[in-house]
This record gives sequence, structure tokens and C-alpha cells, in this order.
Amino acid sequence: MSIPEKIKELNPQSFASIIPGRMHVIDQASTDSLPAVYPVNQLADALHPAVQHVKIASVREHGSDAKSFTLVPDEAKGTRELAWFSAGQYISVFLEIGHSRLCKPYSICSGPADAAKGSYTLTVKRSAGGFASEYILNNWEPGDSIDVSAPEGTFTYEPLRDGKTVIGIAGGSGITPFHSLASAIADGLEDCNLVLLYGSRTKDSILLKEEFDALEAKSPHIQVVHVLSDEKADGFEHGFITSQLIQKYAPAGNYSIFLCGPQAMYQFADSEIAKLNLEQKWIRHELFGQFKNPESCDDYPLEAAGKTFRLTVISRDECHTVDAPAGESLLTAMERAGLLAPSRCRSGECGVCHSYLAKGTVYVPSAIDGRRAADHTYGYIHPCCSFPASDLTLEVPLA
Amino acid sequence: MNNMYDVIVIGAGNGGLVAASVTAKQGLSTLLVERHNLPGGCATSFRRGRFEFEPSLHELAGFGTKEKPQEVGKTFQSVGADVNMLQTPDAFRVLIGDGDYRLPTGREDFISKMEEYVPGCRQSVEGFFALADEIAQAIGYLSAGSIDIKEMQEKFPHFMNIANEPLQKIYEVLEMPKKAQDIMSTYWSYMAMPPSFFDFTMYSFMLERYIDYGASVPKDRSHELSCSLADTIRKNGGDVWFGTEVTKILVENGQAKGVVINGKEYHSQHIICNVNPHIVFSRMMDEAEIPAQELKRANARTLGVSAFTVYLGLNKTAEELGIEDYSTFINGTSDIEQGFLHMDSIDKNDYQITNCLNIANPGCSPEGTCIVWLTQLIRGDAWAEITPQEYKKKKNETAARLIAQYENATGIQISDAIEEISVSAPPTFARYLGTPNGSIYGYQGLPWDNLLSRTMTFEQERYIKGLRFCGGFTTRMDGYSSAYATGANAGRMTVKDIKEGK
Repeated sequence: MSIPEKIKELNPQSFASIIPGRMHVIDQASTDSLPAVYPVNQLADALHPAVQHVKIASVREHGSDAKSFTLVPDEAKGTRELAWFSAGQYISVFLEIGHSRLCKPYSICSGPADAAKGSYTLTVKRSAGGFASEYILNNWEPGDSIDVSAPEGTFTYEPLRDGKTVIGIAGGSGITPFHSLASAIADGLEDCNLVLLYGSRTKDSILLKEEFDALEAKSPHIQVVHVLSDEKADGFEHGFITSQLIQKYAPAGNYSIFLCGPQAMYQFADSEIAKLNLEQKWIRHELFGQFKNPESCDDYPLEAAGKTFRLTVISRDECHTVDAPAGESLLTAMERAGLLAPSRCRSGECGVCHSYLAKGTVYVPSAIDGRRAADHTYGYIHPCCSFPASDLTLEVPLA
Repeated sequence: MNNMYDVIVIGAGNGGLVAASVTAKQGLSTLLVERHNLPGGCATSFRRGRFEFEPSLHELAGFGTKEKPQEVGKTFQSVGADVNMLQTPDAFRVLIGDGDYRLPTGREDFISKMEEYVPGCRQSVEGFFALADEIAQAIGYLSAGSIDIKEMQEKFPHFMNIANEPLQKIYEVLEMPKKAQDIMSTYWSYMAMPPSFFDFTMYSFMLERYIDYGASVPKDRSHELSCSLADTIRKNGGDVWFGTEVTKILVENGQAKGVVINGKEYHSQHIICNVNPHIVFSRMMDEAEIPAQELKRANARTLGVSAFTVYLGLNKTAEELGIEDYSTFINGTSDIEQGFLHMDSIDKNDYQITNCLNIANPGCSPEGTCIVWLTQLIRGDAWAEITPQEYKKKKNETAARLIAQYENATGIQISDAIEEISVSAPPTFARYLGTPNGSIYGYQGLPWDNLLSRTMTFEQERYIKGLRFCGGFTTRMDGYSSAYATGANAGRMTVKDIKEGK
């Protein structure tokens, strides 16, 4: 027996004292109400508010195809300050367009310092067939009230992961997160260098040119290289963003490449970047945005193409049936029918639309399949990047 | 569709999931409601790039194998939840001062290794396990129901003397050498209680389970555990509503009547609550219906700790990096009591647990990569003064310090292999769990509020008929296996209540 005899001398009342000891402590305690708020939860709420009510303070036009909207807190609705964010993050804008209710992500164009002073700026560019951008450009006026989400997204500079220099590759409206990053660098909020390779068609079509000129003048850590595809001009690079161009502006040693732009730009840039033989960790893409034309993917189930399926949406004890065309995501199908399903990124990444597929099959393009391993086993999908391939039943907690 | 259920379970944390699985399996109409859009609370996963991270589980005790299930494994089997568990190799590696110790599972191997590291400690370590055996049997006896003190004195003579004594006191009586004590105390950081007040009962119960039976992790992260349980609820006819918040628990004259969701009432005489009582009794119930005793008990308690975690997706294999251990416990100070006090401070907290998931689960990340994560328990309110603007910087600064501590302690370089990084701090846990100050555990197991004290008073401290709690804030203290056990118990007791017409 390896238990020493001395144990018995320890405390003969040890067991017997437990309940009386407990009752004594509880009896001494107060019956005051418990705290309703906790500081750490308040910090979490300040960083990630469920919704932010904002007003459009001003609108600036950039030619005929883009506008910048400055959003400020709508105090009358209870939003007193805007949530802090990291440069490169987006907010999702809640919209009602006709019968549709939707949620659309836009990178915050302004820097975090502006958020602390009470504003976000979104720069929205017209895009072919862009349902939300078209609506916003045609309708948003100063004084309008809008609801937006908390800042979200991981297209941010991470000092423990990334190189000291970020080479930004931007095309079209993909410039906005880089404007935010450049602002943060100029304000001393991010400690990195930014070399921006910015593709535009012509000198005149460069979005935010003056803003970048000013940021470049303000900070030695920012360099903007304009790359014009359709025009040759002094002081501008001509052509596309190739591996040679990246190498021309790359620093010695490690650097990270951040890309943001349309799908076509990713395809070209990725093939160029591949020639540089960089480790995957140095290359980061902003989200795809709404995936279009799933039927063009190699593994698409062609028998589904062109069909319209019936989508049964079970939300708690309610049930709705809506049309679900094969070429559109399940999220879009619900939104068209006026059902506001939870979502944020529309790119299969954030997981906010995570839902249980009780019946039916979907097609998910592998490039944007952000599901967890067990989601596959247990039938969970992200409706934002799932396309119907049969009639379906989906459990979704609608707002 | 109706708004009447036999049982409504609030919260799909580990406890709530099992509770609803049990009641649904017994054929009771069951509704499980979860505020978040995923099941599991802490038991989930998240993706960054090509990695899927485990947010919280280090090792699950008490699962056993499919052929030889233990408590948790039996519960999963009984409700029909089938999961792929992988055994974790070895118990732990611990670095204390200049010492570096690797301890295997299996009692004999463990004791021999202890003797090798600390010659002369064998007898005291054997004494520790002999007492642990008696305690395990006594807990089994107590859990079975009626308590006969005389019978207990005969069967468990030592237990009666040590039941409520701290670990440190038992070490002293066992005359265990200090170095051996430090190694034996390694798991203190799982619970954030130092040997001076960690009750020997709970500690030895936990250590014995890990050493005798080892532990396991789910193949597809804890999300697999949670999804499999949610699945059994649906398969047994239950409703599972994610992204749905219960705003109120309806109570009338001391009897639970139902809940309110989106302004609508759902009725049930049996509510199982997997929500911290601090939340329930501050904003989920009419003031007039809140029992004074619940307020007293909650006010007497100390909220459990939160955590700080750095998740790394590395672009080299564990082998390339030289990582051999699944769990490495690193003490900044060899004085555990001091280490405990430092859990109040972001900057002073210098105790970490570092895991490499691939050692236990080789297929968990793509070829050529591995997942490492570094964890500290910390009091949530240590983060109370941080502003939103400082938050990310403070997280990164702390993460860098932990990574450097790991690199310095082990000589393994990981910082230049970081392909993905994500950092969770108490506000992260507050955001996803909704617990006070981001507590990941229920309440601190203070000497008056420890495992035995809670277990023996659990039924007598129920003040609202038809309302049962499950989770870390109930009897079994903190951690997955404990939460599962309390959920199973709440489910079974509710089934019994209904059968008996209570």
C-alpha cells in the first residue's frame, strides 16, 4: 500500500465540511442584480457591432462611372461611432431594391483614422450587370440612411506573417482596399511599405489618382506605379502587370503580393506570379466576389444547366418556396424572393451564410469552397457560393 | 408546425448538444436553439487559406475507442453520434526552469519516467495514483445517488479525509519532491487553478484519466463532434435552430413555461439551459421570477477564465521544423503559484501550452504544412482596458511574445514559416460565445465551489421547477468531457422528470 498513514490525520472533517462550507459562503453573498454588461463584451461589440446605422454625408463623382460615398454615424438611429477596422477590410451594405433584399460587401476605401473620426468612405464603380452597384450609383443621395455590417475580412497586412513590403496588384475598383492601406501607412497605423502596381486603361480612367498622389507625397513608404493598358505616356508603365514588372519594382528579400481586382485580372496575374516561384505564403488574394457562370467550370454538372429548381427555405417554424435558377447562387435566389438570409462576403469565405442542406444537391466551385471538412460530411453549405443542381430544402435563419 | 415542445434546450454548446441528443433519442419532441450560426460554442473550427483550425480542444479525455468506449464515448454511441477520433501520443512535454520532461501515457510507464527524472519520487507518485483510484471510485459512488456516510467511511477511508483538500497539501503528505510536484502539476494550466487551491479530488481525477487512458482528438476538428451531435438530434426528429436567440425564459410561479424567440412564445415545461447563469439571471428572466438564492450563488462565484490563442498555419512539416511533441507546456516561471497570479495580466502571463495538431492528426493540413497553436489561459478582464484601436496591435504583440517564448524554449523556429495566422483574445470568445468577459469556462473552482461541492448540492440548488442547467458552470467543472457529461445528465434527468410526470 503506497498511501501513507499520515493521510488519515489530515482532516477527518474534509468530506463532511463540504456542504456546510458551501452553504455558508452562498448565504453571505448579496442578492444584488447581476451585471448587465461586461467590459470585454463591450469591447467585442464595439469591434463587431451587429449592425451600424449610417447616413450619407457626401457624394463625390469620379467621372461618370464611379462615386465615393462618405458615411457617418446615424445618431438618431442609435449609432454613435463607427467600428474600428484594419485597412483592407470591407463592410456589407444592406439594400432593398424593388422586391429584393440583399447584403453586398464593399471594401472600405478610407483609412482607419477616418473611422476613428467618424467616417467610412466607399468608392463604388459601375460594373457590367452589377445589380447593387448600379442601384447605388443611381440612387444614393446625401442624407440617405443606410444599414451596414461591422467591418469584416482578412485581406489585411499581418506583420507576423507578411513581408515588410507589400506589392499591391490592383485593377478597376480593386483599388479601394489599397487606398485604405496606403492611408493607414501614411497615418502611421501600419508599419510596412506599399508598392502599388495599379492597372488602368488610360490616364484619365485612373480612379483616385489625386488621392494616391497626395499619399505618395506624404509617406516615403508608399510608391504607386500606374500601368496603362490602352495608352502610352511618360511616367507611366504600359501594358499589363507581368512578372518582369513585379521584379522591376520588388525590393531585395522577401515581399508579399496582395491582389485585388476582377476575376480576369486574377487569372492573368496569377499566371505571371507563378513565374516568380514564390512560396504560397507570400501571395494573398482579396475575395472573388459573387461567382458568375458556374456552368463554365470543368466539373459543373451540365444536366443542371439552364434549369430552374424549387428551393424550399425552412426558417425556424416558417417555410417558403422560391425559384432557384441553376446559374445563380442560392443566396441570390432567396434575396430575389425578398428573403433576407444571413450573409457577408458572398465569396464562400466568411461562413456567415453557413446553412443546413436538408435535401437536394448543389454545385460548389472548388475555387471558392470555404466549407469545413465536417460540413461536407454533415450537409452544411454556404448558399452564397452554392448553385442548385436539383430541387432543394435548406434550413436558414432568416432575419 | 407548432410551438409546443417536450423539451427546449437553450444553447448548442457541448452540454446543450448532448442534452438535446439524449432527449430527442428518447423520443421527446426537442427544440435546440443556438444564437450563433454554428453548433458547439468552443467546439467548432475555422478556416484560413488552406488550413482548418481547431479553436479550443487540446485533448478529449474519457472518449476511449469504438470498441472500448469510456464515459464520453458511451454517451456519443448512446445517441448514435459517430465520430472519427484519433489517439493523442504521449501525455505531455513540460519545460520548467532548466528542466525538460516528456511523459508518456500509461500509468506504469508514466511512473517509471517520473522516477527516472526525479529519482526517489516513485513511492509518492504511486501514492498519488492510489489515492486517485479511491477518489474515482468515490465519485462513482456519489454520482449514483444516495449517500450513506458510514458506508463511505468504510469503502473510501482516505477519501473522507482528503475530499476537500488542495493538491499542494496532498503533495506534502506524500512527501513528493518539489521537482516531481511541478511535473505532476502540469495540467494545472488546463483549469487555471494552482496547487494551493486546486482540489486534489478534481485534479487527480483529471490526471488519472489522461495518464491511464490517454486522450483523443476528432479527425475533422471539434466541428465534427458538434455536427455529429446536431445530426443525431435532427435524425431523431428534433428541431435545431441556429442563428436564433432566445431572449427570454418564461417562468410562472417558480415553474418554467417556455421561451421567447423573435417576440414569439414557444412552450415547454422542461427547459435545459446551456447558458451561463450570470447571463440568464441578468437579462433572460422577469425580475420577479429570479430566485434570490440564484442571485446569491452567482454573486458568490468567480467567473471562469478566458483564453488567448495564436493559430498558425505553417508552410513546413512538423518533421522539417523539428516538432516531435503534440502538447508542450512551457512555464515562464517555475513558480506555478506566481504563474497563476500572472493570469491577471496580458504582459506578465508567461505560461503557454503549444500544440502541433499534425502529431496527433497527421492529415489535418495539406502536404508540406502543419498546424501549430499556442494557448494561454487568462482572466478575461485583463483585456478590459484595451481600446478598439489598440486591440489588434496588442494581440499581435502578445502573439509575437508567445511565439518567441516557444522558439527560445524549444529551439524550434516557426516564425518564418507562417503562412496563415489568426489570433483570438478574450473579446473574440466574448463575441462568439457571448459569455461574461469571454469566459471559456463557467466559474472558478474555488475551494467552496469545486467539483464535489457542486455535485453534492446540484439537485438541492435547483430553484426553478422544469429548468435545468448544463455546461461548465454546473457540476463537473470545465472542459469538453465535463460539459458533455453534464449535458448527458441534464438530458437523462429531464427524461426521468417527464416519465415521472414532474
